[in-house]
Formats: sequence, structure tokens, C-alpha cells
Amino acid sequence: MILSPFSHSYVFNVEFRIIDIFELRNMPKIVLRHISKNILKDVNLEIMDKELLVLVGPNGAGKSTLLNIMAGLTDYRGEIFFDDKKMDDIPPHKRGVGYLFQDLALFPHLNVYSNIAYGLNVQGYPEKVIKKRVEALLDALHIGGLRERHTCNLSGGEKQRVAIARALAPFQKILLLDEPMSGLDPQTSKYLRTELCALLKRLEITSVFVVHDLLGAEEMADRIAIIHKGQIEQLSAPNDIFFSPRTDIVSEFIGMPNILNCDYCNILSIGLVEVVSGDMSIILPYEGSSIKKLAIPPHDIYIRYKTTWTCAEPL
Amino acid sequence: MSFKRIAITFSLVTFCLYGVLILSLLYFYKGSLFFEIFFSERTLFSIRLSIATATVATVFSMFFAVPSAYALSRYSFFGKKLVDTILELPMIVSPVALGAMVLIFFNTPYGMTIQSNGLQFVFTVYGILLAQFITTAGIATRLVKAAMDEIPQRYEEVAKTLGASPSKTFFNVTLPLSKNGIIAASILTWAKALGEFGATITIAGSMAMKTETIPVAIFMRLASADIEGTVVLVLILIGIGLSILYVVRLFTSKTPYV
Repeated sequence: MILSPFSHSYVFNVEFRIIDIFELRNMPKIVLRHISKNILKDVNLEIMDKELLVLVGPNGAGKSTLLNIMAGLTDYRGEIFFDDKKMDDIPPHKRGVGYLFQDLALFPHLNVYSNIAYGLNVQGYPEKVIKKRVEALLDALHIGGLRERHTCNLSGGEKQRVAIARALAPFQKILLLDEPMSGLDPQTSKYLRTELCALLKRLEITSVFVVHDLLGAEEMADRIAIIHKGQIEQLSAPNDIFFSPRTDIVSEFIGMPNILNCDYCNILSIGLVEVVSGDMSIILPYEGSSIKKLAIPPHDIYIRYKTTWTCAEPL
Repeated sequence: MSFKRIAITFSLVTFCLYGVLILSLLYFYKGSLFFEIFFSERTLFSIRLSIATATVATVFSMFFAVPSAYALSRYSFFGKKLVDTILELPMIVSPVALGAMVLIFFNTPYGMTIQSNGLQFVFTVYGILLAQFITTAGIATRLVKAAMDEIPQRYEEVAKTLGASPSKTFFNVTLPLSKNGIIAASILTWAKALGEFGATITIAGSMAMKTETIPVAIFMRLASADIEGTVVLVLILIGIGLSILYVVRLFTSKTPYV
């Protein structure tokens, strides 16, 4: 195995130096303190105003439970604040949290229009406001033609659009999305996701998007939180997740399963550092902090079958 | 013989059993007598009384069954298992025993107070209603609960996140979605109330033109060896029963959940 010193080697335990722009610009919209429930153990999380946070983790990591807790659909220990207002005793229908479920659950006894209008109706908005809002959403999601259709004979993509419109209709400022595109083919899912993210930004909605893999997450996320076995392993901007994974689990999750424990480091004079791990010695750019672990992406490893190596020989 | 054939044979044998019973009625069937008995004042009174009491009893049963079924289906509360078990009482205890229990209750000081100051139940039409109510309320709750259990709770969660209060969720989502199940449950409850005999005769007695429902009338005719009259009343009961089952079939055809 040969490592080129200029390949993208990733360094653990580097202090998180980039100050999050959201922390400067906004106040936290949602604050979770010491949340515990089943697998979730003492979760603390701050979600900024107007942020799109992607919550990623394997099945059974506690992602959906965390969303249900925020929506108030399940009991929990800990504290939740929305805009500094304590939410723990507020029932779900008064929390003002939209929720797009994985199984959509469009009301089968209502047509598309009434499904979207449902939230506005039960909250007692006047008929004029309801009509205007629903028409705007039908337009925004390009489903104006489905207005009178029954929900049971819509295609998968159309159902998604109706469910999105229904969740957005009652002017909620927080939207929770639980793997909403998982039932669609990759192409439809990609387009719809892009559209949805643009819509969320336009409407300035704080959203928590749960997915089970990172595919496409970095495009839409302001920040990504990796959750594993009920613990938040890392919460940072997409680039930092990919270039500075902070734990073995995050590293493995982003597809870098080769993790080396470093025995010791020699700082070289030319801005490089030599890291020794077992029989191997690897030269890396020196960033000013000690290196304890090293993750190497599989695509940066070259394998040669000849026993000797000279630089003159082409790869 | 293949397994399929064995299974089908069993269903046919059971069918034949009931078929033979119905056909044997025709042995004593006299066309002229049918209309005479059917249109006799006593029979018409029984039919009217049966239909009226069954309808009122069903309304009462469903009034209690729908909310309690919802509670049992959606909430967990102290003593839920006990309530659930007691609701099965009318299914495992003979209606005569239930009727006897009611009679015994009305002989306690509380029961006597109700009888003398409130409604007179024993040997009156109210007694028939009470008999039909206590034999059907538990079953109605069971049937409605089964219908509500089938509706994914997800719909209610969605309604809540859209801002619907628990009562609005119940009236706007749960009730419309379990509509067919509730209608089917009402019809079956009505049929059960219509055919109720044991508790009715124990509480309300068998006074012609006063508390004589169709099943009681059948028993009275049989007791006086009036087989032709019995046949007519049984045919009426079968006619009503089969049409009800057919209507239930129409309402319980599955609607898909999206």
C-alpha cells in the first residue's frame, strides 16, 4: 500500500476552528436539553433559525424518536424550547410544528384540496385566506391540476407533493421531515428534494430533515448532525463532516472505514508532520495540533503488485 | 383428496346444515296462512315493537360504544384490561343470566328506588330496551374498537401536527375513517338486539301486545304447538337477518388507506 502525501488524508481530533455562520447570524430556534427516551440518552441540540438541519444515522439510531419528541407526539425526559419558550407541556396541536411523515398518510376521505386545507380549516382561518394559501401551494408544488382528485389514485411523486403542501399550509415555522422521499425512484426523489429545499428557504422555515444515508445530504444541508445509537456524534457544516470527521463512527459513516491509530508524530520543518502507525510512516500537512487517528478514504489508496517502487515508474 | 377440496367440503357441509334447516321450514309452510299470520295485529305489533326497540337500543349502545371504543383503542389508562374483559361479559354469559342479574338488581334497595321513583323497567317496553342494551353494548364496543384499531394512528398524528385538537381529530379524522366500520357495527348490533330473547323474556316477560318481540312471539307460538305460526315468524326473522347481512357486506368492503 502506498500513500501519496498529497492525497486527501483526513485528520481527527483537530479542533473545530471554523465558526459556524449560523451562530453569528441567528438565534437558536429549537433547543433540546438533556433529552432522553428509549435509545436517546441525554441529547443536546440547538437548531438555528431558518436552518435546514439534516439528521443522518443508521436505522434504529433514534432519528424518528427525536422528531416525535420535538413534535410532542411521544413523552420524554428533558427540555425543549422553541424561541426560548418551554414546550414540554404544550400538546402537539399547539406546538406549531409541521411534520412530513415517511408514510405520508394523506387523509383518504378527503380530496387533494381538502387535504391541503385541513390544517387551516381546523385552526379556524377564514375561507378567503384558506383558498389563497392552498392555491399558492398548489402552484408552488405544480399540482394545480390535481385539486379535485382523490388521494388514493395519485402517483408516488404526486402524493409526496400533496403531503408537502399539506404540511406547509398552516403557516408552521418549523418543519420536521422523516425520510419523506424514501419511497420514490432516485431521479424523482432528487428533483423533488431540490425543489423542496428551495421552497423551505424561500418560506424561511426552520427544518429538520431525517435521512438514513448521506447521499445528497451535503447539497441541501446547512448543517449535518450524525446520530448513532442515540448519541449525536458530530454536528457541523457538511464540509467539516466530510473533511474533519471527529469520531470513528462519523468516519465510517461517510465511507472512510480505514482508520489508523497513530503511535507518535514527528513535526518536520517544512510544514509537514510524519505520523507513525505500526510499521507505517505517513507524511501529512501539519495543521498545528497533534494527530491521534488517521482515516484514509479507500479511493485514495493505490495498490501495486510489484515488490519494488521507484518514483520514475509510472503508476 | 387435496387440502383445498377438504376445506371446501367442510364449508359446504356447514352450508348444507343451515340450508336443510331453512328448507325444513317449508314442510310446514302454508301460503295462505303466511299472509294471514303476517298481517295479524299481534304479529304486526311484534314486528313494530322489535324494530322500534332494536333501533332505540342500538342508538344507545352506539352512543356509549363509539367513545369507549376510542378510549380503549387509543389511550392507556388504569384498569383498561379489566374494562376490556368486562365488556366481553355479554359474549360469554348467557343472556338469561344477564337478564336474571338485571332482575336481581331491581330487587336491591337501589334498584327498587329506581323502579318506584324513576322508570319502571320490569315487565315494560323499557325492560326490553334495557335487555337489548346490556346484551349489545359490550359487543358494539368490541366491533367499533376493531374498526378503529384498523385505522393507522398516523392519520391522527398528522392531524395533530396540523393543529387539530384531540376532539377535532376525533370528529374530523377518526370518525369519518371508521364510518364504514361503525355503520357495520350498528347494523350487527341492531340484528343482535332484534334477535335478543333470553334477557328480554326474563326482564320484560311475554305479554302479547305489550312486550312480545318477534323472538318472544316465536317462543310463545312454539310453546302452544302452533308450528305453522312459528314457521311464519321464523321466516320473517330470517328475511330481516339475511338482508341485514347483505347490507353489512356492502359497508365492510375494504377502503384502501393511502
